[in-house]
Amino acid sequence: MADHERSTVLEIQNLTKRFGRMTAVDNVSFLLENGKLMTFVGPSGCGKTTLLRMISGLTEPTEGQIVLDGEDITFLRANARDTAMVFQNYALFPHMTVSQNIGFGLQIRKKPKDEVKSEVERLLELVQLQGLGDRKTQQLSGGQQQRVALARALSLHPKILLLDEPLSNLDANLRVMMREEIRKLQEQLHLSIIFVTHDQEEAMSISDILVVMNNGIVKQIGSPTEIYERPIDEFVANFVGYINFFAGTVYSLSGDEMIFRTEHGDLAIQQPPMQVSPGDRLKAVIRPESIGIARPGHQTDAGKNVIEGCVVSNMYIGAIIRYTIAVGDQMVYSLNSLPWIFLPKLCLLL
Amino acid sequence: MQHSDRYFTKIVDDTRQFFRSPGLVAVTTTAAILIFLFIVFPIGSVLQKSLTVSYPTVSIHYRHNIATPGDLEKKLIQPVMAVLSSVPGLVKSNVVRKDPQTVLILLRFEKFWDDLKGLNDAKRAIRPIQATIEPLIEEVKYKLSKERIYSTETYKDFFANSYYWHSLRNSIILAVVSTTIITVIAFCLAYVGLRGPRGARGPLRMIGLLPLVAPPFIFSLSLILLGGRSGIITKLFDLDFNLYGWPGVIIAQVITFLPLGYLMIENILRSLGTNMEDAATDMGATDYDILFKITIPLSFPGILKAALLVFLLSIADFGNPMLISGNVHFLATDAYLYWVGENNLEMAAVFCVFLIVPSMLMFIIHEFILKGKSYTTIGGKPQQGEERSIPSKILYPMLAVVIPVSMVIIACFGMIFLGAFTKILMINNAFTLEHFNSPNGIRALITSLKFALGAACIAPLFGVTLSYILIRKRIPFKRVLEFLSLLGFAVPGTVMGVGYILAFNTPPIKLTGTFLIMIINEAFRNLSVSLEAGSSKLHQIDVAIEEAAFDMGASAMKTFFKIVLPLISSALLAGFIYTFMVGMIAVSAVIFLISPGNDLAALYILAVAEQGMLGMACAISIMLIAVVLLCLGALKLVARYTRTEVY
Repeated sequence: MADHERSTVLEIQNLTKRFGRMTAVDNVSFLLENGKLMTFVGPSGCGKTTLLRMISGLTEPTEGQIVLDGEDITFLRANARDTAMVFQNYALFPHMTVSQNIGFGLQIRKKPKDEVKSEVERLLELVQLQGLGDRKTQQLSGGQQQRVALARALSLHPKILLLDEPLSNLDANLRVMMREEIRKLQEQLHLSIIFVTHDQEEAMSISDILVVMNNGIVKQIGSPTEIYERPIDEFVANFVGYINFFAGTVYSLSGDEMIFRTEHGDLAIQQPPMQVSPGDRLKAVIRPESIGIARPGHQTDAGKNVIEGCVVSNMYIGAIIRYTIAVGDQMVYSLNSLPWIFLPKLCLLL
Repeated sequence: MQHSDRYFTKIVDDTRQFFRSPGLVAVTTTAAILIFLFIVFPIGSVLQKSLTVSYPTVSIHYRHNIATPGDLEKKLIQPVMAVLSSVPGLVKSNVVRKDPQTVLILLRFEKFWDDLKGLNDAKRAIRPIQATIEPLIEEVKYKLSKERIYSTETYKDFFANSYYWHSLRNSIILAVVSTTIITVIAFCLAYVGLRGPRGARGPLRMIGLLPLVAPPFIFSLSLILLGGRSGIITKLFDLDFNLYGWPGVIIAQVITFLPLGYLMIENILRSLGTNMEDAATDMGATDYDILFKITIPLSFPGILKAALLVFLLSIADFGNPMLISGNVHFLATDAYLYWVGENNLEMAAVFCVFLIVPSMLMFIIHEFILKGKSYTTIGGKPQQGEERSIPSKILYPMLAVVIPVSMVIIACFGMIFLGAFTKILMINNAFTLEHFNSPNGIRALITSLKFALGAACIAPLFGVTLSYILIRKRIPFKRVLEFLSLLGFAVPGTVMGVGYILAFNTPPIKLTGTFLIMIINEAFRNLSVSLEAGSSKLHQIDVAIEEAAFDMGASAMKTFFKIVLPLISSALLAGFIYTFMVGMIAVSAVIFLISPGNDLAALYILAVAEQGMLGMACAISIMLIAVVLLCLGALKLVARYTRTEVY
């Protein structure tokens, strides 16, 4: 096995899917390394589920190639592929018990009964459902059903595990718990996983690599840090939680830094990932938690990148406060856990 | 343009995908062949038959020893043709020279001429010249046969004679009148049954559904006992009036088809919920306003659907007109009479075509125009609003409709019991059990059981499998296949009976006279119910469940047998129960197909009743109802035991 181990488990080349005139997935290419968790993330209808279904074999691509572990599987049907999928609604077989559900794939492959039984026991333990094997699936809670679906998918030791919005039917607390568990399982079993979600926070927290999609097109591929720190365009920036946009022009470049001139004043910022030169019209984005607030006249830490504004409203979100600040005719948002509270209508320095 | 383009690419896409899975191709092709063979082909045969006319023919072969063609013409052919021209009934004659030694003379006679008579006439005509042609010939052979040609002559006949087209007119009038009455009564019954006085609801529901278990003509039987020439009411009040003819047929049909209308309309009213009516009340509408401006308009599409189905059943009805129509003629029964009584197959086929036309019209309206048109979903699920009670000014008029109808239904059932247990009702009212002692009747009951079980095994399996292919798979010309499979239900039983004989009377597929043809006919006629049951169940099941099985490595076949079939077992059971019940009381198509020794209970009852042995007819009806109820009870037990839900 070991000498066969490849670093790339999945290779997607120019994959396209058209439904009539509608292009659901448009010329997508990427590589997935072995043992990594990749997330397809994007708004609903962006093509992420179609992409996942093409990898699973449930949808046939119009063009392109899918290579799994060195083997071209583009036209292999789903039941012949070494992939396993966890469906959004779990798709548990309602006429079978938990054990029968988990053992289904093994049974189909005509494995001996006792082998199936011990494997099912092992999987039940793995997903912490010991003793629930004889239950009907309808008698389980949402989280438990999720675990059964996961165990069922893992039963065949797939080369790649596909999760289609697996957490969207769970309530908020459970969702966070389950995603941590999936991550733990993935690291423990060294699984290659593709995870589809529309929730950017979920995507950022769970994945090694993010694939941000919109309208069937891959916008950006990268680690959560890369995507967060260096979003490639306005869409990605917006999607990963940037909401403060400043339009302006590049004034000067020096080393890593760039002076960016906006109508509210100059900003000294990091060089963007793409090639720029002075005079280019760009939009700068600033994360709300990167915007500090100070009273007029107060000394700020950096002494630069200061813009004047007026607090319009404040709102508690858990332990932090979200300020809406008017800068000229533009609204700017800031997340802060400042020891004192600024009241609306107070003019501020940013 | 763009639209058709997209449609075209879809078909191409579907076809490409379709041919990639050989299993699906095999199953779909089999299904398509079966549908074509057992639904389309028989109907097509009827259409073809209606457009043909067959003439009796006589052919005369002369083997001669005349050397020259000129001599042959002068000495043999001319004299023979001259005398033949005087033969009565002859339409056309022509001469074919087959080889130097043989001459064939073909004689075609008028449409209804007896060919044997034609033969004798021809022989008689030739006799005077026999002596002169005898030395010239070696051998003469006469042959009888029929010549079939395409012609619209039968249609012309149909419209030329009032006794033909009056049947069509009567059938349509009957269907319109019955449907209207049933719709009104069913609405009242459902309305009062749902919202009327609490104590009355249960009994009303039972009365509404009671006729469902009875053979479809049992009410004609009891109406004859009640108001026939020597019926109870006719005799007691010494009336000069009896129910034979229009009144009888209409009343019998109303009772027979009421359950269907009632069930459908009750379902609509139930899902309507009360919140829209509450809203109207809140805005100041009066009770009449609410009924006529809210309730009825909202349930109208559903009511129309129910009415169309009742129309279909009424026009196709066979048993009731057979027993109680007196001398009023209707299409379905007349088709049978022309077929069996006069052996006028062409006219029977034309009658069948006129049965098909209105049925198809209703079916197309139902399937394509009304499908999916319903307001009942606007309110979502049936809301648990506060129950609305009917105000008395609406309740009383409705009760005035519902109570008499209920009484007639109960009286009809009562009559069956009275008839079964008395020697001859109203003539000798002594109690007796002798009517139940009918070996033929019991034999027919057993045959019916086998027949119904046979059909009930085929129809659900095929129907549900078909529904799976149609709903889950991408196959080319899906809509066409679906439409054709539903035809068996839409087309009246009489047509399917005639069609089966026409289609399967000759090789390669000769099935007439067998028990199998009856079962196949019944199964394919009732395919659509299993198909619908399967479809509605499949719509409730998440596709992802099947995809999951497929993804886990199960083949398409394994997925179907291990996942789909267990999940839609309730649809199978529903299809089984329906086909079985309908099979037990089947009349209209099988009456053409029965063979000696394969008499069915419902047909036997009909035959016995027609011979005037009403007591025995009642007794066998009671036994039939008992058997149906027993079997249903047994099935319920099985369903409970296996925890399969039946709906």
